[in-house]
Amino acid sequence: MIERLFVNDDIPPIITASHVCKTFPGPVVALDDFSLHVDRGEVLVIIGPSGSGKSTFLRCLNGLEEIDGGRIVVDGIVLDSNEKNRLEIIREVGMVFQAFNLFPHLTVRKNVDLAQRLVRKKKRADAAAFSLRLLERVGLSDKADNYPHELSGGQQQRVAIARALAMMPKVMLFDEATSALDPEMIGEVLDVMRGLADDGMTMVVVTHEMGFAREVGDRIVFMESGHVVETGQGEDFFLHPRHRRTREFLRQIL
Amino acid sequence: MKIRRQTLSPYLDWAKFFLVLGLGGYLIIRGSAQVGYSWHWRSIPGYLLTYNDGHLQTGPLLDGLLVTLEITLYSLFVSAGIGLATALLRLSGSRVGRWLAMVYLESIRNTPLLVQIFFLYFVMAPILDIDRFSTAVLALSLFEGAYASEIFRAGIVAVPTGQWEASHALGLNRFDTYRAVILPQALSRIVPPLTSQAVSLVKDSALVSTIAVYDLTMQGRTIIAETFLTFEVWFTVAAIYLVLALILSFAADQTKRYFRTA
Repeated sequence: MIERLFVNDDIPPIITASHVCKTFPGPVVALDDFSLHVDRGEVLVIIGPSGSGKSTFLRCLNGLEEIDGGRIVVDGIVLDSNEKNRLEIIREVGMVFQAFNLFPHLTVRKNVDLAQRLVRKKKRADAAAFSLRLLERVGLSDKADNYPHELSGGQQQRVAIARALAMMPKVMLFDEATSALDPEMIGEVLDVMRGLADDGMTMVVVTHEMGFAREVGDRIVFMESGHVVETGQGEDFFLHPRHRRTREFLRQIL
Repeated sequence: MKIRRQTLSPYLDWAKFFLVLGLGGYLIIRGSAQVGYSWHWRSIPGYLLTYNDGHLQTGPLLDGLLVTLEITLYSLFVSAGIGLATALLRLSGSRVGRWLAMVYLESIRNTPLLVQIFFLYFVMAPILDIDRFSTAVLALSLFEGAYASEIFRAGIVAVPTGQWEASHALGLNRFDTYRAVILPQALSRIVPPLTSQAVSLVKDSALVSTIAVYDLTMQGRTIIAETFLTFEVWFTVAAIYLVLALILSFAADQTKRYFRTA
């Protein structure tokens, strides 16, 4: 049985990270006493210079990296060494990578089918039907029988989003999902992400797309060297950055 | 320029090949005349195939070839199994598993195959009560398995880490990740060298004649002991191995080509 802890009767945040530390051999401190929460239905955008720990934080949330200290709670489940807890959290958290990481030996539909069949133990026909619906949602139902290498980068990333959605996650993590794309393909991926946000999906987005952050982000977090420097509400964050480092960063990037 | 070279070179290569072959043949005939060897090629076909009472019968050399093929085929599958298991152990998170794999690999790589065959035949076979043929297959499989494991490991490691991460993020367990994601992609890097490995296996299998398994080599030795047709029989045996190895090399090339286009 998986134990979920809820502190009080209010709707608790779906993700709570408290005092998380993560050091890579080197030693490089990626997360330094890092605390952050994500509310249900919220689109949280994390920005910051490269090497500030944004991606590491996302990767800690679904167990791709082990944390050295602190605590991460996802949907009331503590992410610790308990294998059952970890698996349950991984199932509730979908992730989209910068490099797509589609399975090149499987067709688009089978990419989306795979986890439904192997993890959710769905019947072949049920999985296929759901996959087609998801592909329709990202506008790629006509590519279902193509292989990933036959698709453009933007199309591949949209398949990757459909693949993550197939697990019906409660949270979607986007790790620089548009950074590897040619400029003309960024829009189509951001459109899909925008659609997800409109449907109420909880999202944690690491991105350099300030336009998207401004428009879609409910809350913006600026990170530097493993800390949260500043947090603000969408538009307000960009108009009135309080911290000097935030202002410098925004001036460089905008 | 490049195209012309490609169309011309096969003929040139063949010409060189026949030149060297002719030269070698000439030297052997001259040399054997000097030691006073009298050739009896006429009786050799009888050791391959005989025609008795209206139907064909295989001679001892062909029987031996069949045994060699049988040993090679079994060993190929068993060594692939051992190789895969060893590679997975080496890549596993378990310290004991990695240690076990290393002990196996180091002891196989650093002892002669002949000693391994003798060790299995004279020490392990009586203890475990296994027959001669199985001992031969086991010895070759353990030996080739050590090399096959390196092929598997290299093929698995070559799959980008992003594939592991995507599988992890989707919640696939380790077994499913290997089965559905990693191994299918590693296959194109594993099958061609594994087919080449079959060539080594055919050649190394000659060593099992030392424990009186009646493979091609053993049949050749037996015929020579009876007939003293030393030169003819060894020429024939060597030629059969050569043809077999060439066929397998060709197959390995084909698999390489197949996976490159696929």
